[in-house]
Amino acid sequence: MHLENLWKYLTGILVIFITWTVLSFLISSQLILPDPLMVLKTLISELRKSEVLEALVITLSKIGVVLATTVTFGVLIGFFIGLNDVVYDILRPCILVIQAVPIITWLALVMFIWGIGWLGPVIVSILSLLPHTILSTAIGIRTTDKRLIEMAKVYRVPRSKVIRNIYLGSIVPQLLSALQVIIGNVWKVVVVAEYMCGDKGIGVLIAWARQSVAVEKVYAYTAIIILIGLIVENILNHFVRKFLKNWELV
Amino acid sequence: MANFDKINRKTLVNTRNTVILNVKSISKSYGKLKVIEDISFDLSRGESIALLGPSGCGKTTLIRIIAGLIDDYEGAIECKVQKIGYVFQEPRLIPWKTVIDNLKFVEENEERIFKTLEALKLKDFANFKPSKLSGGMRQRVNLARALIIEPELLLLDEPFASLDVHLKVSIISDIIERRKDMNFSMIVVTHDVREALLLSDKIYMLSDKPSSIIEEIDVSNVPKDISNPEFHKVESQILSKILGRWIG
Repeated sequence: MHLENLWKYLTGILVIFITWTVLSFLISSQLILPDPLMVLKTLISELRKSEVLEALVITLSKIGVVLATTVTFGVLIGFFIGLNDVVYDILRPCILVIQAVPIITWLALVMFIWGIGWLGPVIVSILSLLPHTILSTAIGIRTTDKRLIEMAKVYRVPRSKVIRNIYLGSIVPQLLSALQVIIGNVWKVVVVAEYMCGDKGIGVLIAWARQSVAVEKVYAYTAIIILIGLIVENILNHFVRKFLKNWELV
Repeated sequence: MANFDKINRKTLVNTRNTVILNVKSISKSYGKLKVIEDISFDLSRGESIALLGPSGCGKTTLIRIIAGLIDDYEGAIECKVQKIGYVFQEPRLIPWKTVIDNLKFVEENEERIFKTLEALKLKDFANFKPSKLSGGMRQRVNLARALIIEPELLLLDEPFASLDVHLKVSIISDIIERRKDMNFSMIVVTHDVREALLLSDKIYMLSDKPSSIIEEIDVSNVPKDISNPEFHKVESQILSKILGRWIG
């Protein structure tokens, strides 16, 4: 990030803190909106606790599993669907239906099947994010420049080489933008799923804090997630921009 | 190597009368619109023909049928060669690959790649991506890709349409040079009489849609030199025919 952009970024964060402080002062209820200083103190003290760090690691591991599964299966299924018009036309409505199902419905179904535990939040998160990856990949394949495919046909280039060099190359921009969307959402989805059907993790800690009316803890745990989310998103965006520039597409 | 080239060329010249492509009564329609009607011709080994016709008359459709890119047509194509190079109207280069990787996509023999890059003055641009090249350079890579497979038949689909005169002349010279070396057969699709004269031994004049051959002109004896009066004379004669047929 350039110095000028960093300055703007930090100013933005400062604006949030000032607004938060003013609103907290106006509302003057620690139960609704605790002041930022109190949340910061809670955040620091919570991060010193081993159970909080353990919960954070568990949430991060779930996020890792969700990301790996979503990207791997999303790309594979999307690739297969995108290559075949008939399969795409048949499966697209199914994927759109899965995408439209509210997360709460998945949570209910998952709780019926697996109860409360590690698997539930992972399955729910995958089901929420997989359709987007599949469709992005499939669209990438379908929008591949047909003139390049024709060129390959004239020169009798083997199908495997065409897939590697033209199709895979064509889906890179779509795939990276899908990855940006997934990274931006995976934190929220996993934490919500943990809140509803998890046994450990930051979402579960938020649920306990809510039960014990520890509002400052709810804000502190949320801040942890936001911080990690923003850091990862910024790093990813940086690499995506760099990669796409090399890819001659931005 | 030079001796081998000579022997090879001699063999090809000896087989010049061998027909490598037989186009029999080709017709093609898009729905109710008939674009090609009953076109037939033969192409011998080492021979070059030009399909000269007005824009939009179906020349590209015909060359696409010959290249095997269009399957649903009436008539028959008998092609006795395997290696077909195609210089497209637009370069069709893979944007995220360098020049050298674009060439490797169709031919992995590095020695041949470097030889072609050198012959077409592209060596210094080997690691450039297409977006960093000028239009003329991209078209040169398009030609290099077609030549690198050592084609027996080279198809050119108005590849100079978007180029300025200098680039056009330069690339045409390259094609003429490479043809002398490699002795491939060639079909040039164009609406430009000068291009047709420079690149071919025989010109088939096509009518407007539905396209059919209206005249066959042997130009094998015309000097391939635009400063030669004989060249201008033949060019004028063909232009007069065009004015009479396409416009008049």
